[in-house]
Amino acid sequence: MKRLPFDTVLIANRGEIAVRIIKTLRKLGLRSALVYHEIDADTLAVSMADTAIRISGLTPIAAYLDIAQIIAATHKARAGALHPGYGFLSENAEFARAVIRAGITFVGPTPDSMELMGDKIRARNFVQRNGFPVAPSTVEEDDPGTFLSRARAVGAPLLVKPSAGGGGKGMRIVRDLNSLEDAIAQARSEAQRYFGDGRLYVERYVEHPRHLEIQVLGDEFGHVVHLFERECSIQRRFQKLIEETPSPALSLEMRQRLCDAAVGIARAANYRNAGTVEFIFDGANFYFLEMNTRLQVEHAVTEMTTGIDLVAEQIYAAAGCQLGFTQSDILQNGHAIEVRLCAEAPQRAYAPTTGRILMLEYPDGDDVRIDSGILEGQRITTAFDPMLAKIIVHSPTRIEAAQKACRAMRELILLGCETNASTLARILADDGFLRGQVHTGYLDENPFLAEGDAESALPAFLAAAALLTRPVRDSADAVPELHAALGSWRN
Amino acid sequence: MKHHFEVDGIDYPLWLVRCAEGYRLSMDNGVLASLRFSRQSERRGTLTIAGEREPVRFVIDGETIHLHMRGLARSLRYRDPMRAFASASREANHLMARAPIPGIVLTIAVSPGQSVSAGTALMTIESMKLETTIRAPKDGVVSRIHFKEGESFERDAVLVSLLEEGL
Repeated sequence: MKRLPFDTVLIANRGEIAVRIIKTLRKLGLRSALVYHEIDADTLAVSMADTAIRISGLTPIAAYLDIAQIIAATHKARAGALHPGYGFLSENAEFARAVIRAGITFVGPTPDSMELMGDKIRARNFVQRNGFPVAPSTVEEDDPGTFLSRARAVGAPLLVKPSAGGGGKGMRIVRDLNSLEDAIAQARSEAQRYFGDGRLYVERYVEHPRHLEIQVLGDEFGHVVHLFERECSIQRRFQKLIEETPSPALSLEMRQRLCDAAVGIARAANYRNAGTVEFIFDGANFYFLEMNTRLQVEHAVTEMTTGIDLVAEQIYAAAGCQLGFTQSDILQNGHAIEVRLCAEAPQRAYAPTTGRILMLEYPDGDDVRIDSGILEGQRITTAFDPMLAKIIVHSPTRIEAAQKACRAMRELILLGCETNASTLARILADDGFLRGQVHTGYLDENPFLAEGDAESALPAFLAAAALLTRPVRDSADAVPELHAALGSWRN
Repeated sequence: MKHHFEVDGIDYPLWLVRCAEGYRLSMDNGVLASLRFSRQSERRGTLTIAGEREPVRFVIDGETIHLHMRGLARSLRYRDPMRAFASASREANHLMARAPIPGIVLTIAVSPGQSVSAGTALMTIESMKLETTIRAPKDGVVSRIHFKEGESFERDAVLVSLLEEGL
């Protein structure tokens, strides 16, 4: 094991990713410190951390975004390093600078890399200047007066995108150029509201695109390696639901070209630590989309197929260690699929759901990994993102992995809060998915996958419910006060 | 006796009667016969339908029965027939904008006493980073706004009550 200049790492995050980071810290013999908002007091991450420090804020999210409180907590815990997880402050260059100024090791890339890649227009221009492919596009701020005519010249269909932010906010697909002006106005208003930055650009929208991304790792000695691709084409509202590796869409030669491009981009950016270069792929060409300067939700599929612990590598790289392997040491073994279990109702347009988790039983079996931050009894509120847990499976082939993941989703039992588990199982058993013929609009084009097959099972559910409550109602029928008798099964 | 279960906002009336092979369940659109349910523990049981055995996991929480079987999870709410009738008559004079999803109030666009027409934006809500506009279901006058900005609510909560104009 490598010698590290710190013995405690503060985690500026919550939920499953906090649990994930704590597990690696334990493995490396490091202590974990965790900040938490009161609403998370009963969560798994708080119970697992060696030290938990309460932070407060007007809202729970505001607490996790409070740079001063988080840095004070890091000092209080005597933590020499800070891991931001994903989301929250993980890609905030100002935060990274404040952490470094406070004498704390930031587990992530340099603030300069974060700034370069965090602005999509700067990143796009940088990638293009370095000779890597970007989709035909034009940037508003180059000359705001001619933006509309330049956008028209790119040709439909177009994608209007904000320069800042992510998560699909402010993005618009324009198929009819007559509606371009309206789409730009709406996108600008959304971008201003969500990111405080209304700058836009447009690019050619690739119909039926696949979303492919390459995991990279860099150290401060200029070494950059890739850990192959992940395909994340199964999405709703531009947000990923199922991720896998290897991608069924890539030939050996195309995989090599993508990986080379990702390493080239990371090397040009002088990138350190773990990062992901995202591309869209139309079956023949690929275009740079953006680079995420952090650990990603879907990093687990890469870990399952390469055997490399990405959180450990992040900590080593942040501590100034050299990468312990070269490109030829990294091999892809078998096939891994990750599904995101979310508190949402797919049949109601994936609307968020809430509730108390009354029963929680995970599937088990060989090569089934559960990355979860939830516990039985925990209340799911609307304060955070709807993702509850990730279920990751590993098998020798893609079909076996899909079958294993499908079985796992049918075996997973979560009662008390509606989830997308049965929809995920349906996607994993879907012919188009099994043939690998997916794209980012696949769920929109196949709404039956969300609607579900619960209708056909409903009589059996009604029978079970009626029989389960029958003894009570049998007695209720015998007495005049129905409410009194119902009380006995109300608890 | 007739019983009601509500699933996803839809009411399912049903009759459960004893028969020689156990129970028979009659619904509007069919009959399930020779039903049995045996409990193995607090939260585990087996439903038998015409000899076919289905393992069932369940939690009874108040009037809601949460079930997992055949790889699916469903929540069914036992509806007391008398109370269902009472709440239906109480709502008759009011128009309500209910929450389609749980969340918090971001902004309120109207005030009590204000006349609104069907489709007028009443408030914006946010849930797990998803923003939604709540609109008036019909023409009316805003009689009560049930939550302040920043307050949270559950799905189906009444957000804004309207009175029909002239009432």
